[in-house]
Amino acid sequence: MGAPVRRARAVRRPALAIAAAALLLPGVALCAATHTLIVSGLGGEPEYERRFREQATALAAAARKMSGDPSLVTTLIGSQARADAVREALRSLAEKVGEDDDVLVVLIGHGSFDGEEYRFNLPGPDLTGSQWAALFDALPARRQLIVNATSASGAVAERWRKDNRVVITATKSGGERTATRFAEYWIEAATTPAADLDKDEVVTAAEAFEYASNKVAESFKSAVLLATEHARLEGAGADRFPVARFGVAAIRTTDPALKAMLAERIGIERELAAIRERRDALGEEAYYDELEATLVRLARLQRRIDAHQVAAPTPGGT
Amino acid sequence: MKTTVLAALCGVLAWSAPALAQTIDYDPRRPEVLATCDDHRYRGRPAEARQCYTALLRQARAPFLRAEIMWALGDVQRANDLFRRAVASTDRASHERVRWGRLYLETHQDAEALELFRESLEIDPGDLQAKLGMAHVFARRFEGEARVLIADVLARNDQLVDAHLLAARMSLEEGRPEEAEAALERAMELAADQKLPPLEAYALRAAIERQRGSERRSRRWIDRTLAYNPRYGAVFEQLAYFEIMRRRYREANELLERAVEVQPDLWSAHAELGANRLRLGDLDGGRRSLEIAYSGDPYSATTVNSLRLLDRLDQFEVSTRSVTVPGADQPVETRMRLHRDESRALEPYVAELLAESITTFAQRYDYVPREPVTVELFPDHDDFAVRVAALPGIGLLGVTFGHLVAMDSPAGRAIGDFHWGSTLWHELAHVFTLSITEHRVPRWLSEGVSVFEEWRTGPTPGVTVSPDVIAALDEGRFLPVSELDSGFIRPTYPNQVQVSYLQAGLICLFIDERWGFERLVTLLRRFTRDTTTAEAIEAVFRMEPEEFDEAFVEYVRQRYAPILDDMAGWQRDHQAARQAIAAQRWTDAIEPARRAAERYPEHSGPASPHILLARALDKTGRRAEAIESLRRYRRNGGWQPEALRELAAWLDEAGETAEATEILLSLNYLDPLNAAHHAALGDRLLAAGRAEEALREFQVLLALGPRDEAPARFGMARALRATGDATASRRYLLDALAIAPHYRPAQDLLLQMIEERK
Repeated sequence: MGAPVRRARAVRRPALAIAAAALLLPGVALCAATHTLIVSGLGGEPEYERRFREQATALAAAARKMSGDPSLVTTLIGSQARADAVREALRSLAEKVGEDDDVLVVLIGHGSFDGEEYRFNLPGPDLTGSQWAALFDALPARRQLIVNATSASGAVAERWRKDNRVVITATKSGGERTATRFAEYWIEAATTPAADLDKDEVVTAAEAFEYASNKVAESFKSAVLLATEHARLEGAGADRFPVARFGVAAIRTTDPALKAMLAERIGIERELAAIRERRDALGEEAYYDELEATLVRLARLQRRIDAHQVAAPTPGGT
Repeated sequence: MKTTVLAALCGVLAWSAPALAQTIDYDPRRPEVLATCDDHRYRGRPAEARQCYTALLRQARAPFLRAEIMWALGDVQRANDLFRRAVASTDRASHERVRWGRLYLETHQDAEALELFRESLEIDPGDLQAKLGMAHVFARRFEGEARVLIADVLARNDQLVDAHLLAARMSLEEGRPEEAEAALERAMELAADQKLPPLEAYALRAAIERQRGSERRSRRWIDRTLAYNPRYGAVFEQLAYFEIMRRRYREANELLERAVEVQPDLWSAHAELGANRLRLGDLDGGRRSLEIAYSGDPYSATTVNSLRLLDRLDQFEVSTRSVTVPGADQPVETRMRLHRDESRALEPYVAELLAESITTFAQRYDYVPREPVTVELFPDHDDFAVRVAALPGIGLLGVTFGHLVAMDSPAGRAIGDFHWGSTLWHELAHVFTLSITEHRVPRWLSEGVSVFEEWRTGPTPGVTVSPDVIAALDEGRFLPVSELDSGFIRPTYPNQVQVSYLQAGLICLFIDERWGFERLVTLLRRFTRDTTTAEAIEAVFRMEPEEFDEAFVEYVRQRYAPILDDMAGWQRDHQAARQAIAAQRWTDAIEPARRAAERYPEHSGPASPHILLARALDKTGRRAEAIESLRRYRRNGGWQPEALRELAAWLDEAGETAEATEILLSLNYLDPLNAAHHAALGDRLLAAGRAEEALREFQVLLALGPRDEAPARFGMARALRATGDATASRRYLLDALAIAPHYRPAQDLLLQMIEERK
């Protein structure tokens, strides 16, 4: 048997490739493919088994929708989620992904922490935090997002953190051991536009994190209960890591006219960012005047995009 | 003082009081050798007492005796250690445990005290002093068990001064001065025989006379007390205690000031003076007194917590509004002290209720408050509890101190736990009943009017009476009107306070329906002078209180006859409906739910038969009837948020949007911190052309600091545009788009705005 051969990445890339400058913006589907692995561990009780299964299934459906390629999404649920299967899935992922690809791993279930080592509860032997870290480190992708939605997940927040990796945990430490609510709201963020604060039709990891952690806090507050979990986000770049796309942002197109308009849209977005930065220097009136002029251009462009979409629908739009 | 450490001791007393401490020990087993020193102390000769105790200490060897001496000298830490040694020396140390328990009682550690009294009774079941100690603990908590214990103790030994004193005190608290007087006569007689100081008896006699309105006779007892012990500040503290019970805080203040003047090291009086100044809104004066109290007695959790609360008061914002009352010479000033995190969100609704309630009550009771009315809302229930901790029998939702109302904010409890708007309405009715009568109104009438006003004029109008109250009526547990206060002060069964609230409300309803509302006002105004409930009833209704009670019971029995005639049948129907709903057997639920609702329409709690019926009807496709059922629920004062939201949704679907909007508006007095609610309500009001109200909803939404800010600013832009403020509208619109440049509805409005400019 020869050495593993890394697959050509081009076949995994969405068709739309706009401008290099847009790499920093999550607003449109870019050149990187997002590979997703979802692991749903042991529930321990029928109610948790059912809940974890449903959550993993919903999240996988959303990931498939976003990527547009079901083969980019791997799901291990219940009895499938044995330690060896997880290892194999991550090894396989390491072979498939390239440096420019994105990797998203979501862990749903129960975790524990004995003061030294975190464990994710799986059928058969558990996987420890260190073992997970070694598997993640083998992934060549420069942008990784690991969402550990289990109890006690805060124990690995710093241990898993790396320059190219954003780590989100449902709890602030290994000491928060109660079954968590975070996954439920993370899924809401990834499946509806509710978390999309800037209305660019892309939900970034930062927006999804803010949405889910706020919802968790609200759920405890409305019941006047002491919160038993406090989510954490470690690492930079969460605001550029998309976890869901809707509308124009989900478009994968080869239509030159549409590509040009989307590129123009990115240009206007950059102008807007510059105006906001110059707010103090501009003074109140000039700021609003400039803002208005630029926003009017953006709104008119958006109407042209929408009209174009109606006239020539592009697959992938939602 | 910033954030002091609570002196929670867990069995270790670690403080040395600088002054002579210890209350009077009436236990006949008190070592005779202490008598001379005790006499100096009881007579107010602290220097001689200290010298005497110190000399005695040099000779004393037994840990128990040394403990008593150290305690008398004010060194409770060493006294504690010595009691521990005394108790450890023998398994049969019953008396030692009782005295050790009293030390804990004096240092505010009731649980430890109770434990020691119980241990003592295990050793010697006949130790009446242990039972008395327990009675003191229960009495302090206003628990009915105190009465039972005292009765038991006195039945076994009628010679115990302390038992008669405690009985007298409780009788006075419950508004039975004759009983108190008789108990005190006996206590004084025994004290004289046993050569015990009569100080507490004198102080209580002074309190009785003051309650009867005889300043002169009260003064005589005070003089006798001070003649016996010129440093006995507790006489004024005792008088203040009963004034506070009658909610006469100004009078209490003067007395407490006298108490600390006479006895500057009376730390409990400093603490009470501090708490009372806070009730009167004097925050600086309150802090000063509390700090003095803390310097002498750091064990009082009440003092420490009050100081901590004061440290946090800078987190509250104060805003003021003037309320114009038709026909009044000048407006009523109102102040709202709200936590900065929720101030801007709550203020519009608090201000609205303040204005509505003041104008409503001013008209109904022909009275305009002469002082500013202050409302404080605490998002942390513990802070609210600290603010009101000194009051017995409180419902723990809100408390009124004259012109100051303190209550939980909506954030302090789970949604659906309480209706804060009704609570505020209830408390503001107290402002009127207390002010009109200069705080002479008895507790039952003040609560009764507040409950009655909730039903008649509050944000959730409709009479609501819970099943436990019907059960109390059925079991003959309603109290005679002249004894109803005791149902609030010292309940004898678990839900008696709640039953008493509703009984009082029903009495007011009875008066209103039988004689007319004006007669209720007349009854209230009888208490502008010192009188009793019995006298007032006789004067206003020309009947004996017993006759009034009979008429009232007949009225309520008639009102609730459909359920009282067959309680078991009603319960069967209610249960059958609940079970059928739980099993989703909707058709089976309809008839039992309907019967239960018809026979007892005032059951508007969470398991109201109206709700059960509505759900069953809806599930069987009978939406119109379901709507009617929830309408009836609402007319009977029902306010559960899920039911009202469902009703609003059904009304929307039925095209009754105006009524749906009114229901959703009413939810602001129930769930005002719900951002999604304000966003939806703002949209509805805009669509209905009610721009000003919509603007309020979007302002509140923004004040809540919503995670998703762009829609809130867009709402402001639309509402301002609808009110004609184009400039502000443009700013909010551009701000919304600056946050969310691709926000389509805002983009559309922007382009529309540009078009209109052309």
